[in-house]
Amino acid sequence: MTRSLLTGNGAAAWGARLALSDYVPAFPITPQTEIIEKISRWTERGEMDARMVTMESEHSMITAAASAAASGIRVFSATSSQGLLYGMEMLYTVSGWRAPFVLVNVSRGLASPITLEPDHNDIMAARDCGFLQIHCATCQEVLDSTLMAYRLAEDQSIRLPVIVNMDGFYLSFTREPVEIPQAEKAADFVGEYDPQNIRFRASSPVSQAVAVLGGAPYSYFRYESHIAAQNGIAVYDQLRVEFAETFGRDYPAIESYCCEDADIVIVMLGSFATKAQVAVDQLRKTGVKVGLLRPRLLRPFPAALFRELLSGKSGVAVVDQNISMGLGGVLHTELAGALYGQADAPRQLLSFIGGLGGRDITLEEFFEIVSVTQNAVAQQKTPPPRLLYTEQEMREMRKLQAAASVERNELNNSGAETNG
Amino acid sequence: MYRIRFHGRGGQGMITASRILGSAFFLEGYEVQDAPRYGAERRGAPIFAYVRADDQPIYERGVIAQPDLVVVADDSLIPVPAAGVLAGVDDHTVLLINSDESIETWKQRLNLCCKVFTLPAQAEERAELRFMGATCTGAAARLLGAVSRDNLARAIRDELAEMADAIVEKNLAMALDAYDRMQQYAGSVTTKTQTGAGDYRKPAWIDLPFEDARISAPDIHASANSTEVRTGLWRTLRPVIDYERCNQCWWVCSTFCPDGAIKVIERTPEIDYDHCKGCMVCVVQCPPHAIEAVPEQTAQLQDAEQGASS
Amino acid sequence: MAEQSVSIYRSMKDLPSTHLLGTGTPMCAGCGGLEALNQLYDIIGEKSVFVNAAGCMTLLSVYPFTPFRGSWLYTAMASAPAGAQGVRDALDILIQKKRMNPDDDMQVVVLTGDGSAYGMGLSATSAAMERELNFLYICYDNEGYGNTGQQFSAATPHGAKTATSTGSAGYPGYKKDLFAIWAAHKPAYVATIVGAEPVDLARKIEKAMSMKGPRMLIALSPCPTGWDFDPKETVAIGKLAVKTGVWPLKEYVDGQVQHTKVPRERRPVEDYLELQGRYRHLFEPEKNVRLISEIQKRVDDYWSNVED
Repeated sequence: MTRSLLTGNGAAAWGARLALSDYVPAFPITPQTEIIEKISRWTERGEMDARMVTMESEHSMITAAASAAASGIRVFSATSSQGLLYGMEMLYTVSGWRAPFVLVNVSRGLASPITLEPDHNDIMAARDCGFLQIHCATCQEVLDSTLMAYRLAEDQSIRLPVIVNMDGFYLSFTREPVEIPQAEKAADFVGEYDPQNIRFRASSPVSQAVAVLGGAPYSYFRYESHIAAQNGIAVYDQLRVEFAETFGRDYPAIESYCCEDADIVIVMLGSFATKAQVAVDQLRKTGVKVGLLRPRLLRPFPAALFRELLSGKSGVAVVDQNISMGLGGVLHTELAGALYGQADAPRQLLSFIGGLGGRDITLEEFFEIVSVTQNAVAQQKTPPPRLLYTEQEMREMRKLQAAASVERNELNNSGAETNG
Repeated sequence: MYRIRFHGRGGQGMITASRILGSAFFLEGYEVQDAPRYGAERRGAPIFAYVRADDQPIYERGVIAQPDLVVVADDSLIPVPAAGVLAGVDDHTVLLINSDESIETWKQRLNLCCKVFTLPAQAEERAELRFMGATCTGAAARLLGAVSRDNLARAIRDELAEMADAIVEKNLAMALDAYDRMQQYAGSVTTKTQTGAGDYRKPAWIDLPFEDARISAPDIHASANSTEVRTGLWRTLRPVIDYERCNQCWWVCSTFCPDGAIKVIERTPEIDYDHCKGCMVCVVQCPPHAIEAVPEQTAQLQDAEQGASS
Repeated sequence: MAEQSVSIYRSMKDLPSTHLLGTGTPMCAGCGGLEALNQLYDIIGEKSVFVNAAGCMTLLSVYPFTPFRGSWLYTAMASAPAGAQGVRDALDILIQKKRMNPDDDMQVVVLTGDGSAYGMGLSATSAAMERELNFLYICYDNEGYGNTGQQFSAATPHGAKTATSTGSAGYPGYKKDLFAIWAAHKPAYVATIVGAEPVDLARKIEKAMSMKGPRMLIALSPCPTGWDFDPKETVAIGKLAVKTGVWPLKEYVDGQVQHTKVPRERRPVEDYLELQGRYRHLFEPEKNVRLISEIQKRVDDYWSNVED
């Protein structure tokens, strides 16, 4: 086994290359740019037999990607944050074309205020668009998931585009040892692209993505996409076995760490979950029965698997690195939906919101999250959602506000005293 | 697990330096994670990078709060709060400073009990900022005691593969020289187990209160208060005006200064060193060549001497 | 200078008498845009894929019916040229990698209304030209957001009444010179056409088809619904647009702009305006001489520069 040090961006580019992508419409955005820089270098040197074209926006980039896929070639693209949102109209539009391709999203917080650092609000905004979503926690996973994503996207029972998601900075710019699969083995696994009946050919005219009049045909087309997305669960499970047999790395739809005998389970997405893994190890040393679930597949949502894995647990702490304004953590509510009414569902389902805009989540905070969850279980009382935000951070904020000349009177009258 | 933090300025090769160390560890058979951290700041601004190395897969991520080794490529960064050079430094931490000043001076100045090493640089090195990273990496590798000379050399060749041969050789020579110089201190860096779950300090979480949008919108109710940001700290070269030679043209240096850091009072230009980033545009553009580029460190020493004698 | 080849379309008699585009579309009766599309589709032919932006012609293909004998792809209002990029690149890649018979290649054609062409899609169009995309671009210009009930767009002429310019002075802005904006990109070809002048239209499409690179056409599309006139007047109004000089028929090739039909004796713009309900406020309750002469003056100024 030979491994190389690759960033998450590098791993994504290798995934696109090994999947033998024909076409890469691109648009630069931090922290995704290294992906397209790498691919452009490879295509210029003839090391990757693909054509890259720099579009003028992500909206156009996603249009070009799907149009090419609808013409019968294998397509890769990548974006992040504001770019994903700029292309949002097309995310919804092209998933309905049923033209499969793979889009890597490098998660980054959304404006306003604008930031470069990671959280999951960008990808959460895309959760209803019809793209399947695979969330990664390591650079190796980014490469492997990109290969798996093509199989998922192009599967006859799915035929939908797939987003592979990684965290900006924490994966995109971080190097880790990554095994780059042999080109032939990867090509065999991904297989040749069979565009089935979507292609533009002079000899077989087709009108794609046409309008409908009336809600009934509309409902039919939309719900068919939904069923196809749901087929992703079964297809993924088969794919996962095949992948593990071929490459020796197993990626369940939900990664479960120390959960079998756990009372308390932390649930979170993406690379910050590996920090939780360190906390679980430490807590286990002191005898706390805690585990971690990390969904890799967010769309389709593996609800049944969640129910199974959480059955009989006493408390669950969901750490959301996103916030739905006026509601709270998205994963928390999705999980609540999956668990509602189940006889053996955990009695306590707690919501924590942390890691917004790249804000670190410390080991101590994970310990405290578990402790708060234990208390909730003991007292049979669910505390309100908790933002991971400290007194010290509030003090720093006050200094910034003072520098920004926010009116002193306003500050004093706002009841902003901390309550520890 | 080894936890190493590199501090430098944009443009000093810190990212490459951290990657060389990461690669060297990897060649030694370690699991490795390395990453740069930079924001919107540019050349000259403080940046840092970090490397983790362990014999187990690494699940820790992000900023290193408690470093085993802190490598400072540019000692002028130490007093800059925003650079966070000393964050999380404790007795076990080893500090490697690229500095001509003595170890004792640094220990006293910083009031530190930890081990401090310095890398007095040759004049030519100082002039060639791009080799600073390689020198630091070489010394760091030896202090860690976990990286062989051969693997250090291989890592440098790997990481600089896209550069011209002469540059690779120069970097190699600097790094290996620094590696050899640290021979007697090999293995000075020790690792430390992180806080356990048994006795952790509870985070002081607060409930964020509602605040009126007049306060809680990202608005700055001030004009040009960016002058409070001391970008002069980015500077490694200082432009110094020789007023004897200044022909009082009154506009060239001031007009071309990209930062607007030269003001002219009665035909006499004055450089605002709190904000001059050291780009040297004025030095190049001054018609009578009346502005000289002086290494910032030299200039600061001169300032100190003048201060003492006056 | 491009080779000035002899057109096969010398007179009306040379135009096709049977038509390729299917009937049965939901476009308005008397639609000037559909008239132009019918004519140009005969020449482009069925070896084509039309990439459509949001506009009136979104509804050309409503499940399960399409009028296209060739292919079509509906995208969105802003990004039809990007869709054309994806299709064109895919076809090229397939031919290059020998995964498609070159006989299966097609002409890639963007079809957008003025709302997209003059406004929301302009950035994507500009970028497609800058990338020298090998495609045809056809804008059916009915001078307003017709599909939503004729609100003014950047293509609306000065003084016209629209659903969002209902006052006595009509639309206060001026029609954007898209021809000049496009020509500034130096694409292979830019032309104005109108369905009421089918020979001129046919020659231009024929010429565009003989070229590679971005080939851009704006078809003035008299719109009975949006301009408020009797559908039977569509052709008459189209002809008057040319004869009054309001719609100059011209083309840009190799850095040169040539007028293809110069109205020697220009009719007064009044003749064109008074047929359309959208200008009725210029004539009733009393004639707005000032505004009419302003419109006339702008047309005169345009042509005085041409004739110089």
